[in-house]
Amino acid sequence: MGAQVKTIERKGSSLQERLYLPEIFKGMATTFGHLWRNLLDNRKLYVRHYPEVQPEIPVRWRGRHRLTTHEDQTVKCVACFMCQTNCPANCIMIEAGERLDGKAEKMPVKFNIDLLECIYCGYCVEACPVDAIRMDTGIFSVTDNNRESFVLGLEELLTTPGAFSEEEYKKGGA
Amino acid sequence: MADKIKLFVNGVEVEVEAGKNLIDAVGAVGIEIPHLCYHPALGADGNCRMCLVGIEDGRPPLVPACKTPAMAGMKVLLDAAHIKKIQHDVMELELINHPTDCPVCDQAGECKLQDYYMAFDQAESRMNVPQVVKGKKMDFGAGVVHDQERCVVCGRCVRFCRQITKTGELGIINRTDDARVNIFPGRPLSNRYAGNVVDLCPVGAMTSRDFRFKQRVWFLKKAPGICHGCAKGCNITIDHNREKYKDDIIYRFRPRLNEQVNGYFICDAGRLSYKAENEGRLTEARLGNKARPIDDVLAACTREIERAEKIALVLSPNCSLEQMAAVQALAEKLGAFLSGYSDGYIKPGDGDGYLIQDDKAANRAGLGLLGIDCSREAFESAVQQAQLLINFNNDLTRSYKESDLKKLLQGTKVIAVSSHDTPGTALADLAIPVASYSEYAGSVVNCDNILQSFAKGLSKNNDLADICAIAVQLGSPLGSPKERFALLQQSISALKDLEPDKIPAQGLNLNDSEAANVTA
Repeated sequence: MGAQVKTIERKGSSLQERLYLPEIFKGMATTFGHLWRNLLDNRKLYVRHYPEVQPEIPVRWRGRHRLTTHEDQTVKCVACFMCQTNCPANCIMIEAGERLDGKAEKMPVKFNIDLLECIYCGYCVEACPVDAIRMDTGIFSVTDNNRESFVLGLEELLTTPGAFSEEEYKKGGA
Repeated sequence: MADKIKLFVNGVEVEVEAGKNLIDAVGAVGIEIPHLCYHPALGADGNCRMCLVGIEDGRPPLVPACKTPAMAGMKVLLDAAHIKKIQHDVMELELINHPTDCPVCDQAGECKLQDYYMAFDQAESRMNVPQVVKGKKMDFGAGVVHDQERCVVCGRCVRFCRQITKTGELGIINRTDDARVNIFPGRPLSNRYAGNVVDLCPVGAMTSRDFRFKQRVWFLKKAPGICHGCAKGCNITIDHNREKYKDDIIYRFRPRLNEQVNGYFICDAGRLSYKAENEGRLTEARLGNKARPIDDVLAACTREIERAEKIALVLSPNCSLEQMAAVQALAEKLGAFLSGYSDGYIKPGDGDGYLIQDDKAANRAGLGLLGIDCSREAFESAVQQAQLLINFNNDLTRSYKESDLKKLLQGTKVIAVSSHDTPGTALADLAIPVASYSEYAGSVVNCDNILQSFAKGLSKNNDLADICAIAVQLGSPLGSPKERFALLQQSISALKDLEPDKIPAQGLNLNDSEAANVTA
């Protein structure tokens, strides 16, 4: 299989182009044309004024994770490890323990998600048999200045609220 | 070899062993007949009806494979529509009252009910009445947790307690959908093999309290091994896993079939002996009681060996044959006395004539084969004369009280080459950490004179050296596994014509080989 060779016509060899300055002025005319047009009226700009204007996050957007709770604020997760098994980035680390409140037999005693390793694929959400993990917090920007703080623990995952109502979330295809 | 007969499965002719039932005979050639209640060690019960197969032109045309001996010319039907319907219907029946709590069930991943559902059923439940509520998380004693709702009432556990341990703690009470396995009031499981009911249970009804929720089984890596808990040398599967950012650790031992040694089972003590492989290990080399790099400690050992006029060596009866050979060669080179004294490893009266032995050491027979002296007098006089004792993983605190041991070792420097941080290791002047039996390859000879080889099971993050390697570093001339095996071939006649990798998986019975050699 030989490589196909396509010779590209070389531009910039005419006299006007080789004089350099006329081309510079032509380019500058375009640039300044845009500058003035946008300075006078910026409504047509295809740019989001972030962070002053926050983006609108749709329901099916995969944001930062959270763990859902029962109505009495106890964890729904039964530590079945389906999300950890499915995670292609291997960023979920769970430790299971006995659950004694009768809601299930098993619950997570540790549930860590390393956001630096997470690729936000959403497989964990799809794998969960009890709808315990969701990515509906609407948080899309996670910043910090040390690695450790990117590892979310059980507490943090449980206390982050969802950004949408239950009906909206269900309508989103969950 | 057993006689071979020919029969037909789904119209294809297969050759199987005679004298077996259909499940075993056909299973041996790789055709699986689904079954829940049948277990080769417990015999056919015929209660689950999962193994019903059709016999073409037979009377009756439908038989339970577990109770039907394989006959020549039999035409077994496995994939006919009516057999598939039966399998589907039996699965549906089993699942009527099953809680389907696979997410929290430890059996998930090695559950026959899951496997057969995927293979034969794959249908939604048609039940619209509430399921029968039964006991959950019941403590049966001996570390067994029972869930009556998950139970398929196959009765394997009940038969195990009646036929194998002959203790009969378990029974099935009530009938029909209310049938359940239970203990007699106030009489929990109390035999030393109770953990086997967890392995026997085809579903998640019996779970182990020790293993409960520790790992999902699909994460576990399985390595074959030999239990070093007693002289029986039961075959085990070492289930281990390296979790992220953590070390490779063992989560459980399970029995591995070896007809010649342990059959299908192991004892509970052996099952729990995996804990000693994870905990209480010596991980750092010590000079006095300070941790030092291992090279420094080895150099100090060499200096001590050069300085000492008389040296005594003592060997653990748990060491593999290869390690014994390496240490024996070291003793010869140093002109030192080598002892295998380890009476403390024997617990008189603890054995039960089934699997558990009095002798809690895995390779005492190996000491005998290599002609290593094991007497107390010889060991003590050698230690008293010696300026240096090199202890290869022999836990002397099992044979001596600590005060007596201190008295004996007075005036003798001790180098402990040890896998575990025992009180005896703490007494040593120099300590070198070595691998334990799940982390090295070797061979041991059990109480019935069966030689079994095992491979390295797992690799720790910080992999420790084998005793062989340490012996070589201290001056043993047997540098390579080949040389060590050659020395073993000299001492053990049965190994003479064998390659190291030709030792049969079931173990080499030295009694048979000795007899064969004598007649020849």
